[in-house]
Amino acid sequence: MTDLAAPLKADDTEPRNPDQMVLAGLLSLPTLFLVILCLVPLFLLVQLSFAHREDGGLWRAGLELTQYRQLLNPQFLRVALFSFTLALTTALISVILAFPVAYFISRMKRRAQITWLVGLLSTLSLSEVLIVFSFQVLLSGSGGLVKVLVALGVMESAHSLYPNFAAVMVCLVYLVLPYIILFLYPAMSQLDDDMPAAAATMGASPLRAFLTVVAPMVKGPLLSAGLLVVIFTVGSYLTPLVLGRPQQWTVGILISNGAMTTGNLPLAAAQAVALVSLMVGLLGLVRLLTKAGSPAS
Amino acid sequence: MNDGLISTVLRRGFLSLVALFIAAPLVVVIGVSFNQTRRMSFPPTELSLKWYKAFFTDAGWMKSLETSLTISLLAALIAVTIALPIAYAVWRYNSKAAKGLAGVGSGLFLLPGVVTALMFSAFWGMVGHVGRIENVILSHSVILLGVPVAMLSVGFQSIEKALIEAAHTMGAGDAEAFRMVVRPAMTPYILCALVYVFVLSLNEYLIAYMVAGFSVQTLPIRVFTALRSGYEPTMCVGAVIFILLGFAAFSLLAAIGDLPKLMGRNRPLEA
Repeated sequence: MTDLAAPLKADDTEPRNPDQMVLAGLLSLPTLFLVILCLVPLFLLVQLSFAHREDGGLWRAGLELTQYRQLLNPQFLRVALFSFTLALTTALISVILAFPVAYFISRMKRRAQITWLVGLLSTLSLSEVLIVFSFQVLLSGSGGLVKVLVALGVMESAHSLYPNFAAVMVCLVYLVLPYIILFLYPAMSQLDDDMPAAAATMGASPLRAFLTVVAPMVKGPLLSAGLLVVIFTVGSYLTPLVLGRPQQWTVGILISNGAMTTGNLPLAAAQAVALVSLMVGLLGLVRLLTKAGSPAS
Repeated sequence: MNDGLISTVLRRGFLSLVALFIAAPLVVVIGVSFNQTRRMSFPPTELSLKWYKAFFTDAGWMKSLETSLTISLLAALIAVTIALPIAYAVWRYNSKAAKGLAGVGSGLFLLPGVVTALMFSAFWGMVGHVGRIENVILSHSVILLGVPVAMLSVGFQSIEKALIEAAHTMGAGDAEAFRMVVRPAMTPYILCALVYVFVLSLNEYLIAYMVAGFSVQTLPIRVFTALRSGYEPTMCVGAVIFILLGFAAFSLLAAIGDLPKLMGRNRPLEA
């Protein structure tokens, strides 16, 4: 159709740019989709956080800061601080673990690499519900781990290994580990092997070569990986709810309780907005610091 | 040489420990699912398939499985259909608008699950369309959109522009070049994106729970509610089915696509 029409209107009503028309056609549906299902809900969430709360879980549109003022109470601040501490600790542990794993995988033979990738992808895709449940079984008094520990004499008597901070931590590391290994994998597979090899011929041990030559080359990806973990875990909900005590509750739990149990939607929305703002602020801060630290990059 | 041996042993030992850590909870759940008793104990004292039988004959669990599969299939189809023109416009026209859309998609994917869940529950509440399966399907397809956009972009970038120019010089129009070069090159990436979104949607519970409540019971929601009320041995069977589904899906993905490349490796790999 375009072939026939093109020569006819070449002179008078020339379309401004045929590519523009194709582009508009291509992007109209995705734009509509994202505006309705992403921008409108986002706007609603922000509007909700300024709304006026009424009895019985109802609310009325408004522009008040009541909910934000509630965020300043020490209890919420403590929970928010805990959420970020938990996320940062998880980030530190999981990046330290994932970095060598990703490096080693990227140096394996093709078959071994694919086996690891399939294994990682399969666990990555597992629902948090199922992983938390699996940890509940694993850490319970009659689960496998306790029996092994008692047999080894590490534990005196069989009792459940949760709820506590360590259980929450281990489960969160488990949840993010496959993501981070896969995130670091491309950077690792692009690394040149010549440099560590050169370091080795000059007498550095493999560990030394790894730490002094490989690690500085991937500083950027490591930092991004850590930030990604923070983003993934700062809103964690189920893991601290099931494997932790109330002291280990996170902003995620407060938000979901506000929405589902206490029915205070405006407060939950304000907490959500605060959480995302803090996240974005942290990202901006890290970007600023890294920019200031290394003007070359 | 001794040095090399030590580092090999250390490396193998470290990797084995990580593999053990990754496998441990899964092995325990699989083991418990074959238990004879109601108790949650590992290793199982007596093997039996009775919980599998109970799972597959329970109308509730079967209905949940069906609901889950329906949601994930449709969410995957919608997300990939929306992602395809975005990724194509970024690659072919270097379009700023398309890049913006891709950015919105990946930004949404990075928001904490509770936040998006709350956002969608407010949205569907306002629309006055509560507790319906469509809510979950559409919400999942938006949230996960960033994933197929990223995967399809990798696919488009792998197409040699020279190949398309060659098709053009041989007299092929845009549509023909698309059919001859772009479509065959993209098929594995599209399939991979479908599988990926399918698996992620299959396992998502918080958004599903907050936009549809208890009226649309997906399998993770059932496990989630059971988790809070107490232990049922059939939960383990549900978990095992999900482990197997994910494993099968990604093995399929490794078979149809170049997995290392899809995961971002851009250097050739020895066999």
